[in-house]
Amino acid sequence: MALAVAALIAVLFSAIVGAAASQPPLAAARYDLGYLLWITTAQATLSTLFSLIVGIALAWALNRLRFPGRNLVVGLFASAIVTPGLIVAFGLLSVWGRNGWLSRSSDALFGAPLDISIFGLGGVVAAHIILDGAFAARILLARLDALPEARLKTGQSLALSGWQRFTIIDWPAMRGTLPGLGAVIFLLAFTSFPIVLLLGGGPAVQTLEVAIYSAVRLDFDLNAAVTLALAQIAVCAAIILLSSAFSPIPTSLSQPAAMHWCDSIAARSGQWFVLVLCLLGFGLPLVAVLGDGLTGALSLAASASFWNAILTSLGIATASAVLALVLSLAVAASRAASSLRWFRIAVGVPAYAYLAVPAVALSLGAFLFVRELGIAPETAAPLVVIVANALLALPFALATLGPAFDAIVRSRGKLMRSIGLSGARQFREIEWPILAGDIGIVVALAFCFSLGDLGVIALFGTQDFVTLPLYMLRALGAYRTNDAAAVAALMLVLTIAAFVLIPRLFERLGRARA
Amino acid sequence: MLALDAVRFAYPGASSEYRFTMDAMAGEVTAIRGQSGSGKSTLLDLIAGFLTPASGTIRIDGSDVTTLPPETRPVSILFQSETLFEHLSAARNVALGLPRADADRVGAALTEVGLAGMGGQRASTLSGGQKQRVALARTLLRNRPVLLLDEPFSALDDETRATTRELVLSLTQKHKWATLLVTHHADDIAAIAQRVYLLENGELELSR
Amino acid sequence: MFRSIAFALAVLMSVASAAAQSPTLTIYTYDAFAAEWGPGPQLKTGFEKICGCTISFVAADSSIGALRRVQLEGATTGADIVLGLDTSIAGEARATGLFEAHGLHFPRTVIPWADPDFSPVDQGYFAFVYDKRKVANPPDSFEALIAVPESFKIVLEDPRSDTPGLGLVLWIKAAYGERAPEIWKGLKPHIVTMARGWSDAYSLFLKGEADMVLSYTTSPAYHAVAESDPNYGAAIFSEGHYPQTEIAGILKSSPNKELAAQFLSWLVTPEAQAIIATTNWMYPVTLGTALPDAFGTAPEKVLNLDEAEITANKSAWIDEALAAIR
Repeated sequence: MALAVAALIAVLFSAIVGAAASQPPLAAARYDLGYLLWITTAQATLSTLFSLIVGIALAWALNRLRFPGRNLVVGLFASAIVTPGLIVAFGLLSVWGRNGWLSRSSDALFGAPLDISIFGLGGVVAAHIILDGAFAARILLARLDALPEARLKTGQSLALSGWQRFTIIDWPAMRGTLPGLGAVIFLLAFTSFPIVLLLGGGPAVQTLEVAIYSAVRLDFDLNAAVTLALAQIAVCAAIILLSSAFSPIPTSLSQPAAMHWCDSIAARSGQWFVLVLCLLGFGLPLVAVLGDGLTGALSLAASASFWNAILTSLGIATASAVLALVLSLAVAASRAASSLRWFRIAVGVPAYAYLAVPAVALSLGAFLFVRELGIAPETAAPLVVIVANALLALPFALATLGPAFDAIVRSRGKLMRSIGLSGARQFREIEWPILAGDIGIVVALAFCFSLGDLGVIALFGTQDFVTLPLYMLRALGAYRTNDAAAVAALMLVLTIAAFVLIPRLFERLGRARA
Repeated sequence: MLALDAVRFAYPGASSEYRFTMDAMAGEVTAIRGQSGSGKSTLLDLIAGFLTPASGTIRIDGSDVTTLPPETRPVSILFQSETLFEHLSAARNVALGLPRADADRVGAALTEVGLAGMGGQRASTLSGGQKQRVALARTLLRNRPVLLLDEPFSALDDETRATTRELVLSLTQKHKWATLLVTHHADDIAAIAQRVYLLENGELELSR
Repeated sequence: MFRSIAFALAVLMSVASAAAQSPTLTIYTYDAFAAEWGPGPQLKTGFEKICGCTISFVAADSSIGALRRVQLEGATTGADIVLGLDTSIAGEARATGLFEAHGLHFPRTVIPWADPDFSPVDQGYFAFVYDKRKVANPPDSFEALIAVPESFKIVLEDPRSDTPGLGLVLWIKAAYGERAPEIWKGLKPHIVTMARGWSDAYSLFLKGEADMVLSYTTSPAYHAVAESDPNYGAAIFSEGHYPQTEIAGILKSSPNKELAAQFLSWLVTPEAQAIIATTNWMYPVTLGTALPDAFGTAPEKVLNLDEAEITANKSAWIDEALAAIR
């Protein structure tokens, strides 16, 4: 399975190299590779660092606090990662922009608008923190919520302070997840495209991905594109290998704790502070998107093509969620079944590789590949979108399922082998009941990714194949800002709903089985 | 020493209710016998403060601790597993029993439980019996008057089990703890318990 | 999913059955042109009534995307026509050798038209658009724009990814020549950001993130006609404005060249031009096309650059501009 993923990427890429070889080399290189690498790496490092810090703080707060609507809040944070970057960026602007809520309230209260610029490196990193920090929190929260009850009781009766509880109990539980999580966030930030262009504030802040796009689209210099893409892949591969070199700390599968940890007043107020801050920071931009969307909702409801776009999007999202689940289960299971280090890396790495390959290169590769197969690109478009979105979700799915699968094999592997359990039966009897909740998260992730993404079929010619994000882009391109805002709000609602409901549904299904 | 007086508790939504009345003496091991699901862990959770009774009182050394949070109760607790933090050394695990680390006292406690010189080992590399000894060493340093044991010997082999429970008995007597042992193994009870309660139908009955 | 497959099959079948009866004219264009609200659907209906053929629009994400697709497909392309390229990329498109001379004459165009390979579709002039309620006295030249306080912000499109972005590079080059980097340096403090595309940039402007946005002189007409909102204006610059003429070309590999030429000459009829003007929000290329009043008149002073010069120097000019504002 992993081989198939690797092979697919190789095929797509070789299609481009093939096309590049037939092209005469252009005169001089027009890009400053050193600067590009530096600024992209710096931006991605900052984004990763802050996302992880915010994620850890938020997971810590959410794990301790109990309040009505907690599930909804968790779903809200989790949905940030799958929200299309452009929507988050515009939401961020509605709050922090020159004419945003904060600036206008400051103007009303103090007679002076807020004088901060969301454009530039700060804005790019802020948008990435919203997208990725909340995702990190969701993944880490799952680890904290899975802490065994006896360990917590021991710690509580030892009167561990808030800080001790964090360093002695929480940190070891989260530590194993951090390298993989950090790598994923780094790759996302490193290859970021629409956010960097919208919020970057000019050519000083850009990414390799932008340069590759311009090499392909503007200069049609495929040789330069290949060079830049190789540079990007090299950096990303180094990060992936580095992160897989850390052996993850075992995840425990004991009964999750229903227990309520009693914290000191100081720690408790700290948790509320973090939560409220994050709710404002993450929530307001999303609320802004919803608010903006209400204005256009009515005119859209009457449009048949809008309903068609919804149905197409839901169909595509469902199909790629199923595909992503099958792929990630296969990779996670085959990785967990082996104790050979190199094999585990060899199976795991291709899953991440997809993130490292520039989207415009993938788009181009997929297009050439489909043409070589003799299929009309218009016909292949839905299939390509499904496969591309499933692959996009794969690293996230693996980050969720991988450690859990490893833990099952570690704790119950011998037992399963001794009673001759394997394959589908093993999955049905063992993994599914234990992991149903995690599997639900994977399905929700893939579903939402697919709902928001359309990057890969840019060249395919999609006159009749319209999904929600494409519908939104078309509306934007035709001055129909209200319609676009309504579609953005709808995608946001669908995303959050999927994220809150799908994992719950799976958990219930899993419990029925157990 | 430890006294529960008409402590009533029911889980939300459950129809059955627990009614606990019992005494445990200092320097004695008091055993709680009962089948799985009879409520043994609920009893320990109430004493340790993880659950709060609907009515009744829990006293330790005469003072009412019914509503104290777990971290301030004069109680130590040992489970079958998860007694130690696996990534810390034995010494650091023991030191968690003190307000601030004190190498001499940690070393002395490890010596008392028969693990002299093993403080530097990571908890994850210790055997099951050694882990329980480390946890007992931590309990020594905390020196709380009540020790709660939740099936602490269940994962041990027969020989380790015998020596570990002898250690529990001798520490109990030496430090005048009121030790409460929850188990369903009759031989543990026969070996070290001076007093036995049977837990059935949500109530405790003194059987020896 | 099933719907999409069913849809794809239906499309395939309709294509197959249509091929048996009447020819299909396949037109590669950019997304917004083919979209529901764009000129595509009305043009299709209009031309199919008279040609006894089927029009099939294939929408790439941008006009450059449509050209790249044809380049990648080479002689095996399914396209008969590429529509929506503009004059700043015409030279490059010509150099690919993929296009066939159309053999048509356009006697009634606003600007005299003699291009043998490409036919005109519509035209616009790049301009900065502003909200009259917020900006009472818009700058009337690049130098006036540079002179206003730095708190006056503009949002641009990235010349590497978007045609208006490229248009501004050419505009400043045409107006200032060697002094272009100096102008870009002066603009730098006013630039909020360079968005990927026109729609992102325009949204930023509508959200109030900037006082002016790089767009077209015809943008206010959209707000006036479609939204009955007369509050938008285009700042007229004394240096003159740089035009963008959207063009269409017939591919050498097309089996329907005659039909394709028929379509191109129909596109410049007043009937088709009126459709394009109020769906693509650009000026017609044909004299005597009926227009809503809101379109006003085109700028008096129009700049221009030689096509060969653009093709040879485009990349260097872009780099020069980007370096000046980095």
